Amino acid sequence: MSELERDRREMAAVLQQPGVRPDPSLRITRRTFVHKSCLVGAATVAETFAWWPLLNTLDVAYAAEAPFKFAWISDTHLYPKSLNTRFVEKTVRAAKEVQAMSPPADFLIFGGDLAQLGKVEELELGVELLKEVNIRKVFIPGEHDWYLDMGKKWGELFGQPHWTFDHKGVRFIGLDTVSRGPDYWTARKMSPEERMGHMATLDGTVAGAWAGVGRDQLDWLQKTLANWDRNRPVVIFSHNPLYEYYPPWNFWVRDWREVNEVLKPYTKVTNIHGHTHQVLYNEIGTMRSIGMLATSWPWPYAPEGVPKLTKPMIRVDPGDHFDGVGWAKIDVSAEDKVDAEYMMWRKQVYAQSPDDYAKSITEVLRPRIADNMWPY
Amino acid sequence: MTAPITRFILFRAAPAVALAVMVGPATAHKDPVTPQLLKAYQEVFMEQVRKGDLLFHGDAKTEEAMGVVLSKTGMACAMCHPMTADTHPATFPKFQAQMAKFATLRDMINWCIEKPNQGEKIADDSEAMKALEAYIYWSQSGTVLNPGKF
Repeated sequence: MSELERDRREMAAVLQQPGVRPDPSLRITRRTFVHKSCLVGAATVAETFAWWPLLNTLDVAYAAEAPFKFAWISDTHLYPKSLNTRFVEKTVRAAKEVQAMSPPADFLIFGGDLAQLGKVEELELGVELLKEVNIRKVFIPGEHDWYLDMGKKWGELFGQPHWTFDHKGVRFIGLDTVSRGPDYWTARKMSPEERMGHMATLDGTVAGAWAGVGRDQLDWLQKTLANWDRNRPVVIFSHNPLYEYYPPWNFWVRDWREVNEVLKPYTKVTNIHGHTHQVLYNEIGTMRSIGMLATSWPWPYAPEGVPKLTKPMIRVDPGDHFDGVGWAKIDVSAEDKVDAEYMMWRKQVYAQSPDDYAKSITEVLRPRIADNMWPY
Repeated sequence: MTAPITRFILFRAAPAVALAVMVGPATAHKDPVTPQLLKAYQEVFMEQVRKGDLLFHGDAKTEEAMGVVLSKTGMACAMCHPMTADTHPATFPKFQAQMAKFATLRDMINWCIEKPNQGEKIADDSEAMKALEAYIYWSQSGTVLNPGKF
């Protein structure tokens, strides 16, 4: 049995205990938010209702003292304008749309990977583009923001990478899942650029299992939640998923056991994450997780381990830069319902085709070979 | 620099290879293929896979050495295709909607170089194309062959 297979079995045994599910008050309903673009044709709307509904609507008891909404943008992966304006255009579009929300969102979460190679000019470009949004903005880092200078510039711009605040009856927590990568660079005498290059490669093997929360932050998380009623809602933002999805691409955190241990007593935990650049929905233990879109480009689904409850999006058209990408709007109603809505820019993505998704089922993929070369 | 395996083929295996070429295929198969020679063939293949892997991941030095410009946007093939996911080499040749024609994997590689990456198209018989092909096929070895599947 491979190491991955052993991990997967252990995770399933630890986290997927019979009968353990998110609190029943967090019922997923069939109520669906219909994207404006879906109103174009009745056929599209019918298709939307056919497959979309399970994904988006959550009921959260005690959630809202008053209705509110917030927005999420992540994974903009900005290059300097001189090299690539495509990702810039999409970030601008997301920022404009968030700013145009009516009524306005209470705050914007930026979910990491603002920059592509962690350069000062890329991070500053991101700040500049997001100035369009003049509501409160809170940031968590992605690995692309961090590993050139180990978070120095990011810290100057955005402060502490993990934080918490309460808003209208919900405790919001931002976690840093990127900064605790094991040091693989010192012994190899890598330059900061080489280190960043390896972290910018999703299917690289040099960095190993880098994503994690870390003991110190877990202690902080425990302390932060200590005074919070166990039956009140908690929304945790992280760059990487807090559950295991596909470890070879770091679609997980390696200290998932400890994270689960801290969160287990809380019955209404929602994790909203970036990094995977795709529609994902998962329930594990008492926590539910929602994977958000990137604005930059969509990743394909991993060859195995896509959470069972995910209704996958169809393969994108690589000729359309606005396909399979976008941002998200999270709406907390006075009836304590939380709708997480994917603001996809190409409406056809709503029309899931089982045949299309089935194309990847027979894929058998191997890890890279070039990582074994020395020097790289 | 010539790789050790290439040197092996050039110098030590050269007589056998030359003989095979001279006498033609009718008798070539009768020559014993030694384990050493098999290993040599495999290493030639893996060398191409390694080059293709680097090209696929946007390695600037490899691109320069092979005289190709696969991207002008900073993007690389692997950014949308980690471990070559979603390249579907096993489904080619097939009708490819973006190109509106019956296409080979090589056609698709060039389409991606020219459109999403805004790089410069490479020749079908170029070393870079062969290396990219080698990497994609090697990565997906074990995937069921299903030509024509859209």
